[in-house]
Amino acid sequence: MSMEMMLATHEFQQWLYREASLLDEIDFDGWFAMFHPDIKYVMPVRINKEGMERPDYATDMFAFNDDYELMKLRIERLKTEYAWAEMPPSRTRRSVNNVRVMEYVANEKAVVKSYLLLYRSRSTDIFNDLVSGERTDEFTYVDGEWKLSKRFFLIDQTTINTRNLAIFV
Amino acid sequence: MNKPEVLLDEMTREETLQYLNETVRPEEGVIPAYILADPTIYKLEHEKIFMKTWVLLGHESELSEKNDYLTRDLAGYSVIIARGQDDEIRAFYNMCTHRGMKLCRADKGNKANFTCPYHGFNFRNNGELIGVPLQNDIYGGQLDKSTMSLKKVTIATYKGLIFGTWNDNPQPLEEFLGDYKWYIDIVFGRTEMEVVGPPQKFIVHSNWKIGSDNFVSDSYHTMVTHGSIAALGMVPSATYSKRGYQVHTENGHGCNIGMPNPDFAFPPNLMDEYKANLSEAQFEMMSNLKNLIGTIFPNLSLLVSHTKIKDQLISNTTMRLWKPVGPDKMEVMTWFMVEKNATEDWKQRSREAYILTFSPSGIFEQDDTEVFTDITAAASGTMPFTKQLTYNYTMGMHREPLTDFPGPGVAYTDKFSEAGSRNFYRYWLDLMNS
Repeated sequence: MSMEMMLATHEFQQWLYREASLLDEIDFDGWFAMFHPDIKYVMPVRINKEGMERPDYATDMFAFNDDYELMKLRIERLKTEYAWAEMPPSRTRRSVNNVRVMEYVANEKAVVKSYLLLYRSRSTDIFNDLVSGERTDEFTYVDGEWKLSKRFFLIDQTTINTRNLAIFV
Repeated sequence: MNKPEVLLDEMTREETLQYLNETVRPEEGVIPAYILADPTIYKLEHEKIFMKTWVLLGHESELSEKNDYLTRDLAGYSVIIARGQDDEIRAFYNMCTHRGMKLCRADKGNKANFTCPYHGFNFRNNGELIGVPLQNDIYGGQLDKSTMSLKKVTIATYKGLIFGTWNDNPQPLEEFLGDYKWYIDIVFGRTEMEVVGPPQKFIVHSNWKIGSDNFVSDSYHTMVTHGSIAALGMVPSATYSKRGYQVHTENGHGCNIGMPNPDFAFPPNLMDEYKANLSEAQFEMMSNLKNLIGTIFPNLSLLVSHTKIKDQLISNTTMRLWKPVGPDKMEVMTWFMVEKNATEDWKQRSREAYILTFSPSGIFEQDDTEVFTDITAAASGTMPFTKQLTYNYTMGMHREPLTDFPGPGVAYTDKFSEAGSRNFYRYWLDLMNS
């Protein structure tokens, strides 16, 4: 790996770690500030197919398919006093690993894949929920910073084993 | 009411039913908490309700081409639903008749034959066994394949909805739906509707009845549970959900109808279709509809919702199944349906509205599941049974039904009533006794 790619990999790892801690610490405004205004936040429905037939996710149905405005709405909602789903908030811990820079143009754009393992604990529950999947993220460089312009999250379950997606992936 | 001396799992069948009949008193507005999470009740429901009544399997538009198939679940058993080469839709138990292997493991696909992964037995999508590897040699030509067809499942359809039942002598579907068809027509029969994409599935630690009950009559909760939606300006006010009508019909079905609506909630370019498919009274209701929330007994809920997103009004039509997977656990399956002949712009915006409001990430959906989970937890264990905890279902008992409502069934002005839930639990109790 070239020195440039090593540095880029490190940079995006740090970006993703910072994002994970903002989400786990319920700093949604801080998280939202990491978005590019062209953000597409996409999570398709995973499906069971025959054998090795691909893609094994829907191209026309999504658990999230949001733009900047809708993401802002979700975040504003969580700040109202009626957002029961996350009141009090879930305790979450996002582990991000297997970070790979797939495409990279310095100071312009990048495509980064990573794995996400999201632990969720609610209230006094003694069981926990795990959400596992792969992210494919697209970044755009704006005013000296990398902004997230697309997230594509491929979840590893066809029946999602958590009560709702009031949390972000 | 006598204090129970023994726990439910120590009672005989007869004692259980007697105790149910003493404690479940819908006409008095009394529903005991134990019926939400008790394993004995859950087992009895499976036998008396889910193995006997019609349960939704899917929608015809999910199998639009010849040889399309789906695998779905009927009362906990995997079922293949296939459109044959003759265009007929049939359903079979998803089990090879030779050694019992699950025949088909994909959610959906297109093929004319199903081959068992165990010994290669091959079945046509009309259920017939057509191929057995080396059959002449190993069975000496004696194997009677005609006795080994897949186990057929009884299905029937209404307005594109495919229902199945394990009952050998079911009440005809249209008779079971009865007067409620009038309302189903508005939701799924106003124009040609199609399912977009696969259904979304997620697990909630809740008893299935809480979902059915919530949709059959409970608009009252929207003021508080969904207070955030009004706070965001997506609906005009927190009491928005009160105006309209509540209706219930025989066999436990019911709905809340939000009316009037100053805006027309549906694609305006399909006016001719609505008029052709609906009666004048149904069309009049549809023209004034702002939402319709209902349940087809036992566990299929339907929904039309009209909200403002990105400063534009849009409606979305969905259905959901509250599939029991344990006394205190259910799989929620939700389908998005759209007017097939609507404009692309309408279809895109309607899907956007569904994903934002009633998908697993939906900002309506997520607050409900939080409530369902905590109700179930509080109803679990033996204490709610021994201490005889009950819920109050008396709302609206002082009111008289309308005599001039245009639709069939028992109708009341304004949606805040628990009459529909009392009707739901009455039929539930009748089936438990059947």
